[in-house]
Amino acid sequence: MASQKRIAKELADCTTNPPAGMSISLANDSDVHKWHVVLDGPPDSVYAGGKFGIIVSLPSEYPFKAPVVTFATRIYHPNITNDSLGNICLSILKPENWKPASRLLAVLEAVRALLIEPQPDDPLEGRIADEYRRERKEFEKNAKTYVTRYAKGPVKFDVLAAAAAAAPASNTSS
Amino acid sequence: MASLNYDNSDDPRDIELSSLTAIYPEIHQVRPDDPYAIALDIPVTPSKAVVVFFPAPEAQENAGANTNGLNGANAGQVDSHELAHLPSLHLEVAFGPEYPDDQPPKVTLSTTPPWLPAETLRKLEEDAPRLWEEMGRDMVGFTYIDHVQQSAEDVFGLAGGSGGLQVDPQHKIAILDYDIKARQAAFDRETFECGVCLDPKKGAVCHRMLDCGHVFCVECLKDCYNKAIEEGDLAAVRCLEPSCAKKRQKTCDSGKKRKRPRTYISPSELLQIPLESAMVKRYVTLKYKNELESDKNTIYCPRSWCNGAARSKKHRKPEGLELAEASDDEDEAEESNVGPDGKPKPFEAKDRLAICEDCSFAFCSRCLQSWHGEFFLCVPPEKKEQLTAEELASAEYIRLHSTPCPTCAVPAQKTHGCNHMICFRCNTHFCYLCSAWLDPMNPYRHFNVQPNGKVTSCYNRLWELEGGDGEGVGYGFDEGFRGDAPLVEVEEAEAEDAELDQMIQGDEPAPQAPEPPREEAPPRGGLVAGQVDIAREGPLVLRIAANQPARGGGHGDAQGHAAVQPARGGNQHVAGGHEGHGGGGRGQAPGGGGRGAGNRAAGRGRGGGPHRQNNQRNQAGQGRRRNNNINNQNNGNAGPQDVEVEGGGLDAAQQAWIRQFVQLALNDEEDGDDFDIPV
Repeated sequence: MASQKRIAKELADCTTNPPAGMSISLANDSDVHKWHVVLDGPPDSVYAGGKFGIIVSLPSEYPFKAPVVTFATRIYHPNITNDSLGNICLSILKPENWKPASRLLAVLEAVRALLIEPQPDDPLEGRIADEYRRERKEFEKNAKTYVTRYAKGPVKFDVLAAAAAAAPASNTSS
Repeated sequence: MASLNYDNSDDPRDIELSSLTAIYPEIHQVRPDDPYAIALDIPVTPSKAVVVFFPAPEAQENAGANTNGLNGANAGQVDSHELAHLPSLHLEVAFGPEYPDDQPPKVTLSTTPPWLPAETLRKLEEDAPRLWEEMGRDMVGFTYIDHVQQSAEDVFGLAGGSGGLQVDPQHKIAILDYDIKARQAAFDRETFECGVCLDPKKGAVCHRMLDCGHVFCVECLKDCYNKAIEEGDLAAVRCLEPSCAKKRQKTCDSGKKRKRPRTYISPSELLQIPLESAMVKRYVTLKYKNELESDKNTIYCPRSWCNGAARSKKHRKPEGLELAEASDDEDEAEESNVGPDGKPKPFEAKDRLAICEDCSFAFCSRCLQSWHGEFFLCVPPEKKEQLTAEELASAEYIRLHSTPCPTCAVPAQKTHGCNHMICFRCNTHFCYLCSAWLDPMNPYRHFNVQPNGKVTSCYNRLWELEGGDGEGVGYGFDEGFRGDAPLVEVEEAEAEDAELDQMIQGDEPAPQAPEPPREEAPPRGGLVAGQVDIAREGPLVLRIAANQPARGGGHGDAQGHAAVQPARGGNQHVAGGHEGHGGGGRGQAPGGGGRGAGNRAAGRGRGGGPHRQNNQRNQAGQGRRRNNNINNQNNGNAGPQDVEVEGGGLDAAQQAWIRQFVQLALNDEEDGDDFDIPV
């Protein structure tokens, strides 16, 4: 399968030569379509010191269809939904902008760049975007609070996945 | 090709040729019987792509005059191409028996086609004996071949300088062809990393995008485009490189050649990749469809089994697999009904003619009926169910207080003056009363005696409704109601005065009640409630007749009336002049204040001219008014009262008949009138 081959190549690229401040692994070794990325909060940003889990899901049509990127770790950011879904607004991922020759490496770089420089003009969280524009101090305080509350300690990916993983484990133990 | 074997001999030619064949394995023998005549093709691949000019035949005559060929003056009229590969130079060398000591090699150079000037070839050929002399009459073979190869780098001195290389246009196709093939061959030999599958691939299985030059492997392109076309995601059929469109957008912005970069892939390129022709066909069809659908001005064939799009200059139906180039100036297309000076373009009746691309049905784009010629007044099919009450009220107002231009159908409302109108949009002259087209040379004839001695229904009615038409003007104006419907101002033409009432009398064939005396005509304005005043007459009826030919009655609401009174019906089909008086008559209802705001425009009673009319007309007016007030509490008795007031001169039998009729009309209308507005 051309798709798997390409993903394997990209994964090899990303793991041997990981992008700055990221470590990449497969959620499940038998499935190359789901990646887990741990992103260190960029040093000069309000997210410094935090560790953020990012889930990259590659559709079966990849690379002809864009990957889906979500934050597994709660984060206070204008372009990332402030909920357990962690949806992210990234122009490179929009269907009309996605090009099959775009690389995951570029996507991850773009995510990191978004943490360094939020895009309040294209927000998913309007309130946070307003705050970012008008009361930067307040925004920074909130963002840092979120980092301490959610982004410290070992990164947890996806509550559902964790539950799914836990369920069979309890079965075997019983 | 004869096998070349020069090993077993002491002949110096053998020694030289054996080393030459080792260096140039492509060397071959010209004739089987002569091992010392060899041939070699030397590629002409300039180190830097060279501009080749193909002067037009006449330009070449000029060029021939000044032997240097091309100069700046005629550079503009020739077509030039930048070529990286020129047809190779064919070199034949014959080493005679006296070579190398006493005889130089005999060299013959040629090209196919003969694109190199004979002069250049001759000079190159002369280099052989010269070099042979310079070397001290020694083995010159390699030196010469190397010399020719090096000269080929700058196309033998021809490509140097500013002009570029000039070639007889008759060789153009062969030379361009050679270049394409050579490029392709070079491309095929190269290796590329496809940005999609990330595999290194030979050029032979890759495709270089024609517009941007990005290279992808054919397999990935096919995968991607086939999927996209199947799903109808045409936007995805573009270069797969992430930043490609953006970069081109930038270059386009600087170049300003195109308003928008062309990011889609042409069907011919898809075929080159190659995609299946069925897939490309689908691409072309979908693209055309998308284009039509995104254009709100597209008109579709009214035939239900066809529904094809009408021909348009902007979108041409693709022929075969070729996509007709959509017009580049999309901005212009978007404001197509606005002229260059920002003013609306004059309306042209012939623009209404639409011809279906698919079934060639010629139809009118306004009324969606088969084409009826330019001078026919038509109205768009009604879409009443989609209208809100307010829109309906507005439409009703327009129906009652305006006259459509016979050419462009734009509703025109007279504000004051005579009934000779000039359409503000298309400058058509027309009659405000009957919407008839008027000859611009002599518009007033319509209101006078015709050349054949006859008169139209608008005879002598030039000044009817002099004060204008609408809620705020005219006899029927009721202070409590102002029309808020959009009004259209119309140019007013001047005309001489005309006598109104004579017309009515002369026009009145109905045998009923005697014409009321003229003095009874109320003064304009200053109406007393309950008094019935004169209002507009003919025009209303006429335009309704024009708009709704299906209706039997001159007055839209008077259907039942028409049915009951065949005599009257008989009059109606004439240009509509007299129904005008009857149907158009309307009572100024005493309970006018009770009209709901919801049906303001529609509910407005059309004041008739009961004083001047016979009782039948009166009834029509009553019926109409009552219908308008159908939701009005006064409704029940307003009509009969009016009849009594107005019909003062009638005998009892007639009055009874009138009441009966009115009742009939009422019932009829309540059931069947679809013009009433739900409140």
